[in-house]
Formats: sequence, C-alpha cells, structure tokens
Amino acid sequence: MSSAGQWWVVIIVVGLLNYLSRLSFIALFAKVEMPPLVARALRFVPAAMLMAIVVPSVVFSTPGALAFDYTNPKLVAALVAAAIAWRTRNAVATMTLGMLALWIAQWLGK
Amino acid sequence: MYFSRPDFVAGARDMAPSLIGLLPFGLVCGVGAQSAGASPLEALGMSAVIFSGAAQILAAQLMAAGAPLAVTILTCCVLGLRFLMYSAAMAPHLKPLPSRWRNAIAFLLTDQSFAAAIRRFRESGDTRNGASYALGTGALLWGTWQVSCTVGYWVGNVIPAAWSLEFVVPLCFLALLVPALEDGPTRIAALAAGIAVVALDSLPMRLSLICAGLVGIVAGLIAESRRGAP
Repeated sequence: MSSAGQWWVVIIVVGLLNYLSRLSFIALFAKVEMPPLVARALRFVPAAMLMAIVVPSVVFSTPGALAFDYTNPKLVAALVAAAIAWRTRNAVATMTLGMLALWIAQWLGK
Repeated sequence: MYFSRPDFVAGARDMAPSLIGLLPFGLVCGVGAQSAGASPLEALGMSAVIFSGAAQILAAQLMAAGAPLAVTILTCCVLGLRFLMYSAAMAPHLKPLPSRWRNAIAFLLTDQSFAAAIRRFRESGDTRNGASYALGTGALLWGTWQVSCTVGYWVGNVIPAAWSLEFVVPLCFLALLVPALEDGPTRIAALAAGIAVVALDSLPMRLSLICAGLVGIVAGLIAESRRGAP
C-alpha cells in the first residue's frame, strides 16, 4: 500500500475510534440509568486526568529521565504557575507568568 | 429550540485564554505532519477529523518512524481512551438533549473544552444553556485548531526552539487543573494520578495516562468514603 493510502487509513480509523470514545457514554447513559458508583466516580475525572496529562511534561527532562528537583526549570516554572493559578484563577496570568518563570529558571541554570 | 446564543458566546469567550496554549500546540502538530511526509490534505484531515493534538503528534512520529499501521492506530486509540471518561462525566448533563446535539458535542470533546464545560454544567445546572456553552468552547477550539495546524504545516516552526514555547501547553492544562481541585478527595485523586503516571511511565503505548486517571479516580472515591458522605 502506498504511504498516501496509509495516512488516510490512520485518519479515518483513529478519527472514527476517537469519535466513538467521545460519544460512548454520552450515548449509553442517555438510554440506560447510570450506576450510582459511576456517578460518584465522575466528579474525580477532571482532577485525575488533567494531573496525569500535566505531570509527565513537567517532571521528565527527556522522555523516561525523571528530574524531580530544583535544577529542572520546567518543574520550578510549573510550581510557580500552580501557585499563580491557585491565587488568581486566571489562565492568562498562569500561562504568561509560568513561561516567564521558565525562562528565568533556564537562564539561572546556564 | 435548544440553541442559546449568549451561552455559546460565553463558552467561546471563556475558552479564549486557552488559545495561548493551543496556538503553539497546533503549530507543533502542523510541523510534525509536514516533516512526517503528509500531504497538505492529509495534514488537514488529521486536524479536522482526529482533532486531538496528542494523537496527531504521536501518529506523525510513528508514521515518520515507519511503524506498522496497526501499532500507530492502536497507540493513538489508547491515547483516546481518556475520552471515555470525559464522555461518562458529560453524559448526565447531556441526557435531556436531542441526539443531534449529543453527537455534535461529542465530536468537539477535547481536554480543554471538557474541563471548561463540566465546570459550567456543575455551576449552572442548566442543560440547555450548558450545552450551548459546550458547543461554543468546542467550536472555537476546532476552528482555531485548523488554522494553527495549517500555519504550522506551511510556515514551519517560526518560533525559535530556545524559547521552549511548547511548555505553554502543560501550563494551559495546569490552569484548568487548579480550579478542579475543589476539596480534599479531588486533591487526593489528583495526587494519586500524578504519582501513578510517573510510576507507570514504562508501560507501552502511553497506557500510563489512562491507568493513572483510573488510579486517581479510585483514590478519590476511597478518600471520599473515608471522610463520610460528601
């Protein structure tokens, strides 16, 4: 198969399966009643998943190499940004000051 | 008539700050597709149909590395399993809507729009307005995503690598995470997920992400039941 055909297979199959994941429980729980345990569990989804997304891009200096100390500029910057997010609840301030913290930490570490 | 224009606009407006994180992310995805040898139409197909930055970057990397097609597809779909959780969390709020609405909101479901919409649903409790709000967040993200991926594809990486601008992506998620830490059990859920994602990092196909999410949810449930009724 040509490489061009391969791209479209990936686009259509991954696109379709991702859409089915996105639709799955929205469609199911429109028809059947949600079990109480599932309903209780759902309020933890944003906190758990967002943390699982953020942590790897902060604590690994290169893929697989854990850098959990103050010499890791990304970790320092993320802690600064988390404190700003906590105090201000402002996404723009979190992102801009977090980037500023990263640049300062990188510059100090040189 | 379900559509509420003010809520649609409010959704788009509340999502606007996240574009600071989304734009560099889209550029990276566009550059990735271009360097992996996708045609312009294939690159647009990825951003328009898959509509998931993490899956697009991964697909481009695996295709460039000549990985078997089945491995590429399976890995991207494992990464998409987190949408199952988002779907379940959104489900109770979307139940009263016509299926057309549910299908549209499902297609536009992303990490960012989920985090924003679920907060809105919990705060307002109004399905109709919440749905228009969710649609507003999703529509803005989808449109901007096509533009930034396309610019990345054609213009290449205009931003110097030394600026580390890709770091704005985790910062964007961090800004969404912090308001979700509303009480003790949610904080424990996040802490457990954060530890688990590092501990499980060696799992193949990015399974660590979905597994860590599940660990966090179980930890949150345990914390809640030990604390007594919420």
